[in-house]
Amino acid sequence: MSNFWFGEGLRKGRKTERFPHAPPEEPPLWPSVLEGSTDTFCPTDAIKDGKWDSGKCISCRLCMPEFRPTGKQDTFLIKKTEPALKKSFYLYKLDTGACGACNIELGTIFDPQYDANRLNIFITSSPRHADAIVVMGIQTEGMKEALKNAYEAMPEPKLIISLGTCAISGGILGDSPMSRDEYHIEIAGCPPSPYTILEAIAKARGE
Amino acid sequence: MHYKFGEPAGRYIGPGGNYHVYSSTISDVPPEGFEELPVHKMAPGEFNFQYGPSTGGLVESAGLQFITPGEMINSVQVDPTYKTRKLKMKGLDIERAILTVERINGFHASSNTIAFILAVEEALGMEPDEEVQKARILQLELERIRSNFEVLKRMGEPAGFGVPVNQIGFLRERVSRIISKAAGHRFFFGVNSPGSALISNSGLNEKLSEIRKEFDRIFSGLLQSKIFLNRLQNSCITKGKFLTGPAARAAGLRYDAREDSDSLPYDETPFVPVVHEDGDIFSRMIVRGEEIFNSFDIISSLGTVRETPGIKVEKGTGEGSARVESPQGDIFYYVKVNNGTLEDVWYVTPGTLNVRAFMESMKGNLFPDFHFNWESFGIWISELGVEIQ
Repeated sequence: MSNFWFGEGLRKGRKTERFPHAPPEEPPLWPSVLEGSTDTFCPTDAIKDGKWDSGKCISCRLCMPEFRPTGKQDTFLIKKTEPALKKSFYLYKLDTGACGACNIELGTIFDPQYDANRLNIFITSSPRHADAIVVMGIQTEGMKEALKNAYEAMPEPKLIISLGTCAISGGILGDSPMSRDEYHIEIAGCPPSPYTILEAIAKARGE
Repeated sequence: MHYKFGEPAGRYIGPGGNYHVYSSTISDVPPEGFEELPVHKMAPGEFNFQYGPSTGGLVESAGLQFITPGEMINSVQVDPTYKTRKLKMKGLDIERAILTVERINGFHASSNTIAFILAVEEALGMEPDEEVQKARILQLELERIRSNFEVLKRMGEPAGFGVPVNQIGFLRERVSRIISKAAGHRFFFGVNSPGSALISNSGLNEKLSEIRKEFDRIFSGLLQSKIFLNRLQNSCITKGKFLTGPAARAAGLRYDAREDSDSLPYDETPFVPVVHEDGDIFSRMIVRGEEIFNSFDIISSLGTVRETPGIKVEKGTGEGSARVESPQGDIFYYVKVNNGTLEDVWYVTPGTLNVRAFMESMKGNLFPDFHFNWESFGIWISELGVEIQ
């Protein structure tokens, strides 16, 4: 059987796409950058005075047709970079109260289409080995201490990444576990697509 | 309301709200033998250790407390409450409540949302039309295919079985992209509302048949990989009666809401429950794999599925309930609507029975079996850790 799997690995050939060095091959419409200028109802106040805040948007489509998705995947904001982490970037994921969708999409960036490992991005099981903590979900009482302990256990330099609308602003479900000022990188979306996550994490190293 | 309050009748679905739900009734009487699992008393030489709530081996936050003399697991307790979310739903209008229901379990959003909406439609006296019901079956089966791929992928990870893990991960992502094209969102958010489903199957069957062909080859390969299978066979056996979903069907129980709930017209599809007898991790794996093929058959039998645009829902009053088969097992929703507003809502998640079965099945097995076993149940903590307010 070992020959079978070896042969299967070769038979399928290369499946990894060139993104982020080329445009995304199959970007989703929801979530993506929304375009519009007219004020309309938004259950999370992501649209105010005709302006759209990606960190509050939950892709519910209730703003249609005043606002429309463009398919553009760059719904992230990078406030601080760490070029020292270019060759090896270890992420520690922390689910403070997620619905599971962000958890899945973060895992997806390691699937063959995206293969985050080729960009020197890895997951670690311990915050002591982590360069960045990826916070997912709303604030919950039981995970407050875990978040604090994980952050304190990380060595310097360290980055704090918020993944998804719940972590950034609380979205539709509650409060965010940290204030927006405390995050170094905001990856917006409900949940953000793997394209968005991959590009944002790659750029967190100043690329 | 289709489900009546009364004495227990039919198989046990699980606890929800202040009640116990059976396949035919809602009761305040728990099933015989469903008392709390006995607490293990530490024996000399045993020690306990905490795993989680946040660690690399878990996709979500959960706390597990193992008791072991060193190798064999004599007891494990799962605490799903670390990330309990307090979700406001009572007093909301239906449109707003759907946004919350979608996010109870994002990976199984269509199962939760469709069960909730079917309950709402019953409460409001709405008769869903055939096109909408077909679109719901399409979503549930796409979600099942993707979820079962995820479970099979994760079951290969602790074995370090890189080639099939990556190839199944590749297929799972292809299904996510198909869902995105068909429904606009990779997790079916914003797709469903009473009397409507924004999804079509245009061009979908050709893409799915390619995935089926690829998966057929991978699954056949897995079933020939003796070292991997030896890891799964005769491990972590559970054959109790309080089972649901693939775990029940892997233990010889023909439990499936697609057969014994009339919320959706599965009798018009080639649905066949996949049942195996042994109740071990291997049986749970093979049920998941074979169900993927049946889901492909169901989808291809649906004919044309078109988007059915939203309709204006009259503000009504009433009670409703519905049960659908999620990839984890039965999901049941109860709603009480008063003049278009949710007065009461509660649900039964298959996670409750699955966590109980996981804890029972772990006893007497080794820690290296833990990850295979945990993943084989496909448990989602997000669905368990919810307080509806």
